[in-house]
Amino acid sequence: MRLNILIGGKAGQGINKVSEIVSMILIKQGYFVFNYRDYPSLIRGGHNFNILSVSEEKIGSYQSKLDGIVALDQKTIALHKNKLKKGGFVVDSKDFENLGRNLNLALAGALIKILGIDNKILMEEIKKEFNKKEALSAAEKGLASQKNIFNIKKQNNNNITLMTGSQGIAQGAINSRIDRYIAYPMTPATGVMHELAASQLKNDKTISHNNNKNIHQHNHQNNLLVFQAENEIAVVNAALGASFTGAKTIIGTSGGGFDLMCEGISLQGQSEIPLVIYLAARPGPGTGVPTYSSQADLNIALRGGHGEFPRIVIAPGDPLECIEKTNEAFYLSEKFNSLSVILSDKHLAESWFSSDRKPNKILNVKSSRNRKIPGKRIVKASSYEHDEMGYTTESAEIAAQKAKGRLLKYEKIQKECDKFEMIKIHGKKKSKNLIIGWGSTKTVILDAIKGLDYKFLQVLYLMPLSDKIREEMKKAKKIILIEENMTGQLGRIIREKTSLKIKHRILKYDGRTFSSDVLRDEILKVKNEYKK
Amino acid sequence: MSTKNKLKTKLRIKLGTKNEDTWCPGCPNHNILESTKRVLTKLIGKGYKQEDFAMVTGIGCHAKIFDYLNISGIYGLHGRVLPTALGIKLGNPNLTVLGFAGDGDTYAEGMAHFIHAGRYNANMTLVVHDNQSFSLTTGQSTPTSQQGYKNKAKPFGEFDKPLNPIKLALASGMSFIARCNARDVAHTERILEKAIRHKGFSFVEIIQDCLIFNLEANNKDGLMYKISDNKNKKKAEQLAEEWDYNNKHGRIPLGVIYQEKKKTLEEKWPQLAALSKTLRKRKISRKRKTEIK
Ligand SMILES: Cc1ncc(C[n+]2csc(CCOP(=O)(O)OP(=O)(O)O)c2C)c(N)n1
Ligand code: SF4
Repeated sequence: MRLNILIGGKAGQGINKVSEIVSMILIKQGYFVFNYRDYPSLIRGGHNFNILSVSEEKIGSYQSKLDGIVALDQKTIALHKNKLKKGGFVVDSKDFENLGRNLNLALAGALIKILGIDNKILMEEIKKEFNKKEALSAAEKGLASQKNIFNIKKQNNNNITLMTGSQGIAQGAINSRIDRYIAYPMTPATGVMHELAASQLKNDKTISHNNNKNIHQHNHQNNLLVFQAENEIAVVNAALGASFTGAKTIIGTSGGGFDLMCEGISLQGQSEIPLVIYLAARPGPGTGVPTYSSQADLNIALRGGHGEFPRIVIAPGDPLECIEKTNEAFYLSEKFNSLSVILSDKHLAESWFSSDRKPNKILNVKSSRNRKIPGKRIVKASSYEHDEMGYTTESAEIAAQKAKGRLLKYEKIQKECDKFEMIKIHGKKKSKNLIIGWGSTKTVILDAIKGLDYKFLQVLYLMPLSDKIREEMKKAKKIILIEENMTGQLGRIIREKTSLKIKHRILKYDGRTFSSDVLRDEILKVKNEYKK
Repeated sequence: MSTKNKLKTKLRIKLGTKNEDTWCPGCPNHNILESTKRVLTKLIGKGYKQEDFAMVTGIGCHAKIFDYLNISGIYGLHGRVLPTALGIKLGNPNLTVLGFAGDGDTYAEGMAHFIHAGRYNANMTLVVHDNQSFSLTTGQSTPTSQQGYKNKAKPFGEFDKPLNPIKLALASGMSFIARCNARDVAHTERILEKAIRHKGFSFVEIIQDCLIFNLEANNKDGLMYKISDNKNKKKAEQLAEEWDYNNKHGRIPLGVIYQEKKKTLEEKWPQLAALSKTLRKRKISRKRKTEIK
């Protein structure tokens, strides 16, 4: 069974609340859900919608055809009814009058009834969260307004967590015992700032909506401080200052802010002060389409900052990987005094993903206060080429030696990265048909190739790039590259590394992410081209 | 030599480095270095620890002080002294942080940071070596250069009037604002000590002649006079107006132009107060351990 329900309305009407209540009930019933969020850059009005996808099997995407629409305004029906399957349902908010803010609860009630879930489960949930007469009666009105269409029976899946990528990054940072998060607001990176800001001085169990013990492994009060600086240039320089003193520091931004940080990134390369950057991409150039998604910032993640110096670029593909890879980013950055970039995008940062996997054990990131830090001894870090003491030098010999040192460090980093999952192989392991992709397209690719004769190579480490990519490509007969950018940026770096060109590319660059059924069709189209 | 003086000399040597001096002979940057060494010597004599100081410099002639002073620090980017220093305070509030920046550095490249420093009010000191010129890049005009200043980038002369950093500092709510003359080493030393001891953000603008570029701006010593420490805002505004940076008329007041008590960054954030305590405890226990050994 797979259902796709669109919940739409004006910004500020609370469509997220409807999806949230229903999603929480569904995961407790043992269902996997995925919630895509689509909204323009405005605060009140306009048109926002979520697509809530439900299945008893693992899913990580939505589909283009809808089983139902929940409309908080008439525009939602007008805009989306052409995607409704035959016999699809419409819940119209017109039928509920004078409920005010409790309209969400009535709509959640209507949806629960349609799905065929026991009324009591919703009422208990609402009692727990709101416990107000008006709230309960709104939910009851909703339940009474509809007839049961589907038959959602409790499944045997336990411990399903619901998380966004932003929560994953925040949890990974907390697991690495960070001290400072410094940022300037920019969608879609801001989610992490909000999550961490709310968890300051609290017990580490506070992140993520459901208190699944799978996710929360630490249990101590943090001394985390979240600082909003005057701009991204201040952010990156302040982060280097903080990290210089031994504070484990992460900064977060999107493309435009990352551009502003580039000189500071380069300073990291020269000063070798550990730094972790979270880069959540959206479509550019310029301000672009700011509340939508894109994988076009891989290039700048790999190359931003002048000069030649080592860095690590990691792209998790789902919230659990966000937890794990953020932890690895800290581990590597502290071990090698280097730069780690965690690359994500709007789709991963803000969609709700469900999973029953238990994340890997937390890597212990050594306390940076054991490094050479001021307060214990005299330490000098510099943006100039410098000698061992940190004093400026213009000597040709030292300059060459230091440059080679940086290259050597990269080789060591490469070796260490081999210990981690730099790539993952999914799908039919023996298939000769290979799909290559990275980042937030992971879960939609997994859904699109279900049952097809395809192997999926997910690249998690984009720098360094794993040697196994070439081996896998050599074994394959057909290769398809899937990316959400216009030029196939991963394809280019793979070609640079392996000298292998990928002929078939499925690229999307309209700011919207793939839906799994459309992507499946595109993959099948490529297959047919081979047959010709 | 008395033992006290001997101790001072030893400390001074420890504060210096063996790096080659690449400032022009006679450049008043030497004097600022000398004042700094003296004040650090004095403070270390009074219980400050040498390893507890951290400096941040910009890029320019002024910034070479990084190589001549044996304390921790970051030789940062052009214009970014303030955020880097703020980061150090966010990371370890127990360090005594000194920023050394140029006028180009602070009022051109890094202006956004300057006007926010008063709001944050981190407990640290910013020293601006104001030579009214981008000297290391061969003398282009900065926001404090006088109108008419001809240089290679502005052959018609600078069109615009300079800004007045003291007025700006007052408007930005900085809690300690002072002005010095680089040539007056003893006075600069005294003001630096007050700045470092002030709880909150201290801004010390030092008038520093450059011997190579913008020579017309030099030799204003005759206009300068010393004031006693001022805590009155109205008076401070009047003092700031006395010299407009544009010409050699009027009088140039030196000393503490304004000082007030204001909640510091370290007091505002409970995390910093807690960290300060833990680090202090850790340091004491480490010291005990070494003593037992
Ligand atoms: C981002 C950036 N832009 C430009 C420069 C070139 N630059 C080096 S020093 C300097 C001017 C320094 O002037 P100032 O800060 O007044 O210091 P001074 O040399 O006068 O002491 C400039 C523009 C640089 N290093 N970095
Ligand atoms: S150019 Fe000017 S500021 Fe720079 S060292 Fe020479 S005299 Fe000093």
